Amino acid sequence: MSDASDKPILEARDLVKDFGGVRAVAGLDISIYPGELHCIIGPNGAGKSTFFKLLMGIQRPSAGEVFYQGRNVTRLKPFERARLGMAIKFQAMEVYQELTVFQNLFIPLRRHHRPKQIPEQAAKLLAQLHLAGTEEGLVSNLSHGQQQWLAIGMSMAVRPEVLLLDEPTAGMSPDETSETAKIVKGLNASGMTIVVIEHDMAFIRNLDSRTSVLHYGKLFAQGSFDEIEQNEDVHRIYLGTV
Amino acid sequence: MEELATIFGYFYQYLDNIGFLILAASGLIIIFGMMGVINMAHGELMMIGAYITAFAYYAGVPAPLAILLAGLGSGIAGIILERLVIRYFYKQLLSSLVVTWGLSLILSQGFLLVFGPSILNMPTPFGNFPIDEQTFGIYRLVLFGISVAMIAGVWALFTFTRFGTNARATMENPGMADALGVNTRNVYALTFGLGSAMGGIAGGMFAMTATISPFFGINYTPLAFITVVVGGGANVITGLLASVLALAGVQTAVNNMVNVYVGYLGMMGTALVILLVLPRGISEYLERRKIRTERAADSE
Amino acid sequence: MNNKGSILDKYLGLLNGPQTIGRGVPFWLGFLAIVATLAFGPEFLSRFQIINFSNFLISGFMALSLCLIWGYCGVLSLGQAAFFGVGGYAYGVVAINLLNAHGNTDIALIAGIFIPVVFAAIVGGVMFYARLRGVYVAILMLVISLVIGTFMRQTADPDYTIGAAYLGGMNGLRPASPDDPLLPSLILGLGQTIQEFDGRSVSFYYLTLGLLVAVYLGLRCLVNSSFGFFLVGCREDPDRTETFGYDVRLIQLSVFCISAAIAGLAGTLYTAWGTFIHPDGFGVAQNILVVIWVAVGGRKDLSAALIGALVLEWISLKLASEGEFALLFMGAILVTVMLLAPTGVVTTISDLIGRLRTKRSTLAASEMKNGEPDV
Repeated sequence: MSDASDKPILEARDLVKDFGGVRAVAGLDISIYPGELHCIIGPNGAGKSTFFKLLMGIQRPSAGEVFYQGRNVTRLKPFERARLGMAIKFQAMEVYQELTVFQNLFIPLRRHHRPKQIPEQAAKLLAQLHLAGTEEGLVSNLSHGQQQWLAIGMSMAVRPEVLLLDEPTAGMSPDETSETAKIVKGLNASGMTIVVIEHDMAFIRNLDSRTSVLHYGKLFAQGSFDEIEQNEDVHRIYLGTV
Repeated sequence: MEELATIFGYFYQYLDNIGFLILAASGLIIIFGMMGVINMAHGELMMIGAYITAFAYYAGVPAPLAILLAGLGSGIAGIILERLVIRYFYKQLLSSLVVTWGLSLILSQGFLLVFGPSILNMPTPFGNFPIDEQTFGIYRLVLFGISVAMIAGVWALFTFTRFGTNARATMENPGMADALGVNTRNVYALTFGLGSAMGGIAGGMFAMTATISPFFGINYTPLAFITVVVGGGANVITGLLASVLALAGVQTAVNNMVNVYVGYLGMMGTALVILLVLPRGISEYLERRKIRTERAADSE
Repeated sequence: MNNKGSILDKYLGLLNGPQTIGRGVPFWLGFLAIVATLAFGPEFLSRFQIINFSNFLISGFMALSLCLIWGYCGVLSLGQAAFFGVGGYAYGVVAINLLNAHGNTDIALIAGIFIPVVFAAIVGGVMFYARLRGVYVAILMLVISLVIGTFMRQTADPDYTIGAAYLGGMNGLRPASPDDPLLPSLILGLGQTIQEFDGRSVSFYYLTLGLLVAVYLGLRCLVNSSFGFFLVGCREDPDRTETFGYDVRLIQLSVFCISAAIAGLAGTLYTAWGTFIHPDGFGVAQNILVVIWVAVGGRKDLSAALIGALVLEWISLKLASEGEFALLFMGAILVTVMLLAPTGVVTTISDLIGRLRTKRSTLAASEMKNGEPDV
């Protein structure tokens, strides 16, 4: 559950993003608080992934600002935001397909660990992700769900303060999905702020956290999961009548 | 009245440079736009065209027919290359660069072995015309005219014929086109053949202004490449035109202000600046703007 | 790539690692054998052959240079000869100017390595910080190489003189006046001791061989270090690597500069070897040859690229006596390898060996388990 801290750790203020003639994000104001587990949901095309890209700096906003730990990071490049403590895992797989699992983990782990420590750290991380013992194998030998876990693990490896997960359970079986929920909740319990974009309602229900609903690039509704689940208007936007 | 000659001189040079770039690059940009392949052997296909033109001409064939033969010859050579090698490298920009560079080496060295290093020449036809006290060659204007005709022809081909529709569909979405019954294999082979044929015709045209040797192609490949990349593959026609107008313009201006070599440098510099601002070429930017205006019009 | 660790990993440290094939005893024995052969070669070779061998070792530097930036960092540069040429001319100009004053070419050697780095820093800075990728970097480097070549070709006017060195246009670098010294070979001096490495001498051959081995081993350590992992990350997925906090542009730029230094060293050695440098070094042939060596050998591995260069150059030398077939043959080999073994000949063979070994060991393991072979 969220830590009652006054100042948000991550803030979007009036974010706008235009692509050619399409306004993907249309004035988004969201605050994420330290230690929170926060879900972002909304129909397809609501601007969720674009929102994440703006938060991380992969895209520059057409207007608006992003604040991290009170500091305006709108002009900072992704690697600079990463060094401040932000991490992200995109929708696309986000692992190095042609490398071994160990090599995949080495690169993010190296940011905070010395080479000698990395085999041990990698083993620990892999154990957490139900991937124990897979170090020497190629990533392409892992199943889809396992690759997703590895991708999450790689983002975890940089020991971020804030972790952005874009559809972490995409393509996963129900069993894998509930495992992922456990992993995410475990991370959050250890103090990491986590923002998750998801479609899978079972997963979100499992997380039981503060939820924001995006629609046409704007914040449509916000509240606890139960509140959102009861919200008639939210139902209607999913059915396409709004 | 000397100003008239000077002004006409600038204009003439501009047209000459435009014609040069269009001829050198049009075949290449069609292939780039269609298959995502950079054909570093394009210059050698032009060389083949030049040799065919020269041999045909000296065998008694009238020049225009010789050039058409060149187009045919290079087109066939292109189709052979496509079926044997190129088709394994669609959309792989770097790999296609490397493998076609190898092909270029095979072709130029092959011709060197067969025909020797001696150079051929063809006479420049049509003579000169005077403006005030300066004379200008007529042929260069013909070259410009043919280059414009070539683009117009390609545009017509793509817009009005069934092949053109199939080709455009394949360019946009090959999977979909395939599913709709377009024989994409043939489209690719024929497009590559068309691009090569255009290279052959260009080679034939240039054969009358430049010396012909196995290394003929090297004069054109880098420039053609840069023109194509600056133009971008999003829209072949607009990309080519925009790129050529910009690059030839800078080249003509700098040529006259300093010298030919710096003119060449100026063109490179301009290309670099355009790429820094529009990394996918001019046509991609223009296409995005078109979509934006269309969407804006729709939402009104 | 099949890069299982080996017992030698403990002793060889960073020389062995996941980014280079060949970690076991057979590989290193083979390596020592090759170095020994090359070292004792001069006993059995004629003067003329030694001179040729010096030249063909120089191609090794170029292959390593391109392999580093292309195979490991994923940036194809079609114009590495630009750094080769700039290094050669820099060495020549500085050497001619300072030889009389210093009695050695120490500074010239440094210039031959350092000036290409400065050039790479500028060009690379512009390209990478503008996030130019792929094709554009490739062709831009080729164009730069050709443009420099064209410029150098038209420096026949006597005004093109830098101090005592006259650029010489198509005929290459030469002294500006009869009072100025000729382009010297390497003359290294430390305090009072002077050692000349004449390009035609055995000492030059050993110097080149020594430098090549040193650069090869040094690069092995570099790519097997943490930095090597970052390089590979930049190659495989630069955007993902950036999200971990790595400045990809800076990494690309540094590697670009290192590879420029190695190419500059090659150019310097070449100029010292023949005591000449001229604009042909910037041309298409020079650039494409490096690409062929690395693509045919195997671009993702130092040893593969190096072997590719040495073998192809050796074949080229042999073919030269037959006629003008060498370049045609090179082109044909490139196309064939790109079609049949796109990762490179040496890399493909090494993969096959790796897979055979794994099959044999899994077979052996299952035999031990069951007492009879699996069907």
